[in-house]
Amino acid sequence: MSTTPASQATAGAASAAPVGSSGGGSGLHLDGVYRVFPGGVVAVEDVNLHIANGEYVVFLGPSGCGKTTTLRMIGGHDEPSQGTISLDGEILNGVTPAKRPVTTVFQHFALFPHRNVLQNVAFGLKMRGIGKVEREKQARDAIDLVGLGQMANRKPRELSSGQQQRVALSRVLVTRPKAILLDEPFGDLDRLLQLRMRVELRALQRDLGITFIHVTHNQEEALSMADRIVVMDDGRLQQVGTPTDLARHPKNVFVAKFMGDNNTIRGPVVESRDGVVTVQGKLLRGAVRGDLPVGQETAMTIRASAVQVSTSPEAAAVNAGRARLNFAEYLGDSVKLHLDVQGEPFLAKVDEARYAEIRAFEGQDVTVSWNLEDGQLLEL
Amino acid sequence: MEAAEAMLGDATMSGAVLATTGPRRSGWVTLGWAGPGALWLLVFLIAPVTMIVLASFWTKTNTGFDAFKWTFSNYGRLFDTVVYREVLVDTLKNAFIVLVLCLLIAYPVAYFLAVCIKSIRLQIALFIVVLAPFWTAYVIRIIAWYPILGRQGAINYGLEKLGIISAPLDFLLFSNFAVVLALVQLYVLFMVTPIFFQLATIDQSAVEAARDLGASPYKVFREVILPLSLPGVLIGCIFVFVLVMGEFATVQIIGGNQIQSVGTIVRSYYTNIDLPAAAAGSSILVAVMMIGVAVLLRFAKLREAV
Ligand SMILES: Nc1ncnc2c1ncn2[C@@H]1O[C@H](COP(=O)(O)OP(=O)(O)OP(=O)(O)O)[C@@H](O)[C@H]1O
Ligand SMILES: [Mg+2]
Repeated sequence: MSTTPASQATAGAASAAPVGSSGGGSGLHLDGVYRVFPGGVVAVEDVNLHIANGEYVVFLGPSGCGKTTTLRMIGGHDEPSQGTISLDGEILNGVTPAKRPVTTVFQHFALFPHRNVLQNVAFGLKMRGIGKVEREKQARDAIDLVGLGQMANRKPRELSSGQQQRVALSRVLVTRPKAILLDEPFGDLDRLLQLRMRVELRALQRDLGITFIHVTHNQEEALSMADRIVVMDDGRLQQVGTPTDLARHPKNVFVAKFMGDNNTIRGPVVESRDGVVTVQGKLLRGAVRGDLPVGQETAMTIRASAVQVSTSPEAAAVNAGRARLNFAEYLGDSVKLHLDVQGEPFLAKVDEARYAEIRAFEGQDVTVSWNLEDGQLLEL
Repeated sequence: MEAAEAMLGDATMSGAVLATTGPRRSGWVTLGWAGPGALWLLVFLIAPVTMIVLASFWTKTNTGFDAFKWTFSNYGRLFDTVVYREVLVDTLKNAFIVLVLCLLIAYPVAYFLAVCIKSIRLQIALFIVVLAPFWTAYVIRIIAWYPILGRQGAINYGLEKLGIISAPLDFLLFSNFAVVLALVQLYVLFMVTPIFFQLATIDQSAVEAARDLGASPYKVFREVILPLSLPGVLIGCIFVFVLVMGEFATVQIIGGNQIQSVGTIVRSYYTNIDLPAAAAGSSILVAVMMIGVAVLLRFAKLREAV
């Protein structure tokens, strides 16, 4: 009981601290962060990242790549084995979650099952020693904000998962954190609700201007919501960039593959002339802008939507080839072609209007080609 | 004794009722599942209790009882003797003391096992160690107090050797103190087990969320862990209360002739071939236990509403 005013005082002092009091500037900094679990599992390796205040950042990566571990270290539920984490110049290492000005929306919401919606939302304020009347007023406002005003007296188990999600969100919002951490916030929601919550969450974040750090393994979700995406694999940052950066200019083979709808050609450079190199894949050969010595092993990528598909039989030697059309997948606004270059899968995307024409070629060969400018080199 | 057994069955049942809130299935399937259990309860719980209640209205005769002459006088006889009333109150008091002591010991143990120990294997290993006393026979566990608490027992011997006392302490054995001690030792596990399992089911992320929202370790316990562990506490309390209320063997062995419980009184009526009075004593005991359990459940409901 007596601890609450004290922790409130410290929290107040933390937010009032001058920017840059102990190295780093404004925003969240991760410097050389490692997390090695007992037994030698390196979950996070050499992460360096700056997240500006008010930014919406999405951590994206396959299962087990270290996203949750990174988030937990920012939230204070885990400590880095090495490296520092700081927020607005203040080092967070060793600070308990209770005293960090960041709050987490947990993967399965982690609502208190024995408390009703109002009590759940008011919890953070209660812990800060705010009186019952005041905290319930603020909690009610937060519940109204997410449209659950009618359900203030329900227990979490009496809510749908979408409603629980909103409760979890407003429970965090009332404490006015500097950053909100969300671990797979849409994991428990059906697809339609996911799409709606994306819009709502993003709008909310814009209104509040609070930093959101969101973890997911769904690239579509990342692309649609993020100011910046952080792609992780195997504990390491693979690429950090805007959604358009990542969609158009994946940096390495992993990112190109993980972002989906990219074709990669991997193999030695067979020709290098006038700033253009030719990469010889198993079957396809691609020219791309770049400067690499002949014989070097490399990789290049072409987005599926940059691939041109022709049903007439002529084919050029470079940036083109014949491919078997296995399946034309109608997506409503486009058609995704699942092609096969003698065993190698290859993707193309064409306008929806060509569906009838293309579909007639299912099971037959078509010609694929792309412009020199649309290809790009990847790091291996 | 029979009454105690019967109430134990009842306590288990209340536990099951607490746990199941699933959807209702209908018709023959339900009957198929519920049938054997219902039959069991009928034969081993409802029938004997009914018999005892009926027997409490029979008339005592010099040679035994007359089952065709109905009377309330058995209850009258019991309450006319000061002893029964006093012992009933003492038994309740002892049950309450044992309950509180069991709770005070069991909760920290269960908390340590379920919350502080992170490795599941170590948890199970330590839990088995906690259960170890159950590997010895009930009577041995009680008799083992003699060489510890007796006039020439370990404690008196040690204290005398150290010069702290000059004559052996008599209150250690054949006293209410000894009875309470032995009962706590016997039944504390019935408190540890349900609390342990309840604590182990608490969602760890709810604890983390509380911490995240600014709760101090004490507040995390007070606001999240304690309320979520109450169902286990409740079941443990019902177990201990019901078992201790019905006790007579421990009371007799450890309390000697000094200490009595409702159980020992019922037994002495029984050995004096006063079956109707024994039945009346048991019926009252069952009624008191049911009231006690109802109070505990009511208390739990109140807590949940807060
Ligand atoms: N407490 C722990 N002890 C040992 N290893 C752990 C622990 N927590 C996580 N790991 C390991 O660290 C790695 C990263 O785990 P993390 O939970 O961060 O993955 P993730 O990216 O969140 O995956 P997902 O998408 O499946 O949630 C995994 O290999 C995991 O097995
Ligand atoms: Mg995760």
